[in-house]
Amino acid sequence: MASVAVDSGPGVPRQISLKWFGAALAHGYIWAWLVIFALPFLATLIYSLRTPSGEWTFAAYQYVFGSFRENLLLSVQTTAITIVINLIISVPAAYAIVRFPIPGKSFILSTLNLSLYTPAAVMGVSLVIAYAFLFRIPQTMIGLIAAYVVGTFPLMLVPIIVALRDLPMMFEEAARTLGATRMQTFWRVDLPLLGPGISAGILLTFVIIFNEFLVTLFIAGPGLTTAALRVYNLTRTAGFQPSTAALATTMQLVSFLVVLTFFHFFGSRYLKGTYLI
Amino acid sequence: MTRVNLIDVSKRFGATLAVDRFNADIADGEFVTLLGPSGCGKTTTLRMVAGLVEPSSGQIRFDSQSVTNVPTHKRNVGLAFQSHALFPHLSVARNIAFGLEVKGTPKAAIQQRVQEMLDMVELSEFADRVPAQLSGGQQQRVALARMLATDPRVLLFDEPLSALDRNLRDTLKYSILDLQRRTRKTAIYVTHDQSEAFAISDRIFVMNEGRIEQAGTQLDIYLRPQSEFVAGFVGDNNALRGEVVAVVSAAPGEPKLVDVLAGGMRLRGLNPGNVGVGDAILAFIRPENIEILPGRRHDDEPNVVRGRVEQIVFEGPTVRIVVDAGGVAIKATAGGLGRLTLLDQNQREVSMKMQEVTVVRDVPAAA
Amino acid sequence: MTHAPADIAIEYDIADEPARRSWATPRRRGVALLLPAALVAVLFSLIPLAYLFQISLTDGSSFFFDARYTVDNYREVFSRYRPAIAETVYLAGVSSILNLVFGYPFAYILIRKVRYRELVRTMMTFPLFGPLYLAFGLFYIFLPNGPLGGIFAALDINIAKYLFSQGAVLFSMLVFTFPFMVMNIGAALSNVDPMLEEAARTLGAKPWQIFMRVLFPLSWSGIIAGFLMCFGWNLGVFAQPQLLGSPKEQSVISLQMFLKGLVQFNYGLAAALGIVLMVMAFAVTWVSLRFSRGALGA
Repeated sequence: MASVAVDSGPGVPRQISLKWFGAALAHGYIWAWLVIFALPFLATLIYSLRTPSGEWTFAAYQYVFGSFRENLLLSVQTTAITIVINLIISVPAAYAIVRFPIPGKSFILSTLNLSLYTPAAVMGVSLVIAYAFLFRIPQTMIGLIAAYVVGTFPLMLVPIIVALRDLPMMFEEAARTLGATRMQTFWRVDLPLLGPGISAGILLTFVIIFNEFLVTLFIAGPGLTTAALRVYNLTRTAGFQPSTAALATTMQLVSFLVVLTFFHFFGSRYLKGTYLI
Repeated sequence: MTRVNLIDVSKRFGATLAVDRFNADIADGEFVTLLGPSGCGKTTTLRMVAGLVEPSSGQIRFDSQSVTNVPTHKRNVGLAFQSHALFPHLSVARNIAFGLEVKGTPKAAIQQRVQEMLDMVELSEFADRVPAQLSGGQQQRVALARMLATDPRVLLFDEPLSALDRNLRDTLKYSILDLQRRTRKTAIYVTHDQSEAFAISDRIFVMNEGRIEQAGTQLDIYLRPQSEFVAGFVGDNNALRGEVVAVVSAAPGEPKLVDVLAGGMRLRGLNPGNVGVGDAILAFIRPENIEILPGRRHDDEPNVVRGRVEQIVFEGPTVRIVVDAGGVAIKATAGGLGRLTLLDQNQREVSMKMQEVTVVRDVPAAA
Repeated sequence: MTHAPADIAIEYDIADEPARRSWATPRRRGVALLLPAALVAVLFSLIPLAYLFQISLTDGSSFFFDARYTVDNYREVFSRYRPAIAETVYLAGVSSILNLVFGYPFAYILIRKVRYRELVRTMMTFPLFGPLYLAFGLFYIFLPNGPLGGIFAALDINIAKYLFSQGAVLFSMLVFTFPFMVMNIGAALSNVDPMLEEAARTLGAKPWQIFMRVLFPLSWSGIIAGFLMCFGWNLGVFAQPQLLGSPKEQSVISLQMFLKGLVQFNYGLAAALGIVLMVMAFAVTWVSLRFSRGALGA
């Protein structure tokens, strides 16, 4: 011990190099995982750009804007409708849960969140049966949207509840004393201030629904093939084709751009306590 | 132009009685302060006037018209918050315009009024900034402008300065008073800071545990505290328990006096009017009303008590002394040049002249 | 200072308050606002699940013609499908353990040493786009002429032999749920004051002692919550075994449900499989929520 303490000359550089080695190892580990996260996407991207003979081409992307176009449009359409309906039912529900004296709040919240914890295949089977024999809406757009809404509106509800709880009452009270009715207060004060929370809900719904294939596989009829389901179907029937890779790449690229845009404007704070991060 | 009445207003939160039968008659244009420690019910009372809290019982009236069941947005009150509560997503001008916009005021009229308000608080050049770009004092001034823009009947202040630093507080409290005087609006101001209360109020309501302890002018509150709580909460006081030994007969026009035996000292104080010989009383003596007389020469004068200096602390403008007077510790302060003499002489034995003694009937605290 | 006149005579009549007893009490208005969401949940979650349970008690697809009530489906699930249940639980369990082993150091480094957290969070969203793209991309990587083919060849690794194997399925499951594990442990670790570790170090604790005696006990709730969350998600695994697994991995319950229900139209059996899977997932979620004390708490 004593010799180490006194003979610090050669000891110090060795310690520093050891520390440096540890830090490099730690950051290396993080970066290795970052590569793993991106690797499947990058592989798909490369596959979509290569011919079997190894040349580079954008040829596969002609399908994205060709025969896959209607699948993509359906995906965009269903995602947009789901987001709108989610907003319409989640914003009032979150407001009621946080600001109104309702008995049994935690029970209600658990019931609303039930679908979030139901495995997708179970939800698919239960809905395909219920649609066919109970509600008589098999293989319809309504059924598909309803399934998307029930599966994802909790993802909208939770960030809004978090944001609303974070929002001090004083803004609402200030608005009320200035003569605003409850509705005016909501539109002019709450809604703008809840922006990030609501955007987080929109992002989560988008990421999930835009890429959903499993529930869709169960309940969508032949005319309702979303882009994600098309990727699945093509993979099952045609094997691994560059055109399928092009579609999968497009889907991920769009999703990632939306995430980047969101993080740029709002950061990741409002996603805490939710399904993402 | 509004007279505000609170009649037997109570608020119960679950098992706790936050406000207990609050009664007040606040005249048009009067500036009233609710003063008390945190949790005394002053903010709840204010919020009931604003309509943000519904009273459990009692009635609130503006100009002898009940507003007890009128929702906040129809009461036309202005409320200033502790943390200003400016809408962070709106510019200064839009914040001030808010109350007019929601009432559907024509655009031109809004613009004119906003400009008027901005001029009044001297923030015209900041109209397009958002609140986050302003300093704390500027934010509070915008909040005042926003509150006044709708020409409210009553101005309510919920500790509006407590989040600001000391210098800013001192300037802003006079701005608030000035605005109130200029607009001649009835104002209710909540604070736990007595210097604020003394500086700006026409009348002070001292509150404790949901009840009004004492209501009166600054002088009433400071010089003639009616209870042990008020005496202890407002300023510093020596409180001595004792009893009345004699009621001094006074000539007409002279102050009525009473002799008491408190803390083993015979003292002559102001007669509260409701005590007789033998009644239990509390005698209050402010430290600054005690004159320290060196030596033992003054024993024959009234209200002079002898004691031993226990502690002497130099506090800058004043010297703080603790004197042991026959087993009772008496706090006294001395200012002026006399304080230096006290420090120099290093005296142990002193005489204290109690220049003003306030006597209050001792009501045993309800169990 | 002037004093306003204070003692104006008071002439009150407490009885003249306007009555305000409308039907729109705050509670009723709250319930009304909640109604659309509740309706959706009841119609498309509760009722279908109850219906599924009812069908699981009928024979084959008889429910829709002449319902024959029986518990044969459950008997079959717990006999013939026992290996399938075991495989499902095994894959979910092993992948969750792998998640914990790899995720804990990741979360620790991320919370304590990394300043580019925003980048890490952004990159972590890739797996969340779904297991389908993940499996698709990994499939290509496992091919001999894949993008990393050169590297594997240089290292003398025959990567293709891992395609359609348990290892490939587990790896894809690990990557898919990795963000959930990191998020839960990270949340727990960010509540552990770094001063505690420094204090332990000044008291002479070695790194592994600091981990065992300080970090591990204090992040225990995050570990449990993360583990159970990964486990719950992976119980429903579907795409990865189908694209990357051997027939053994393809026996997982979700895939079997699809086969029985939508290919063979044996609704009773598919429903029973679904109910068993759902009960397992709910049990896991229930326990995990107790530990996570998430943003919503109780």
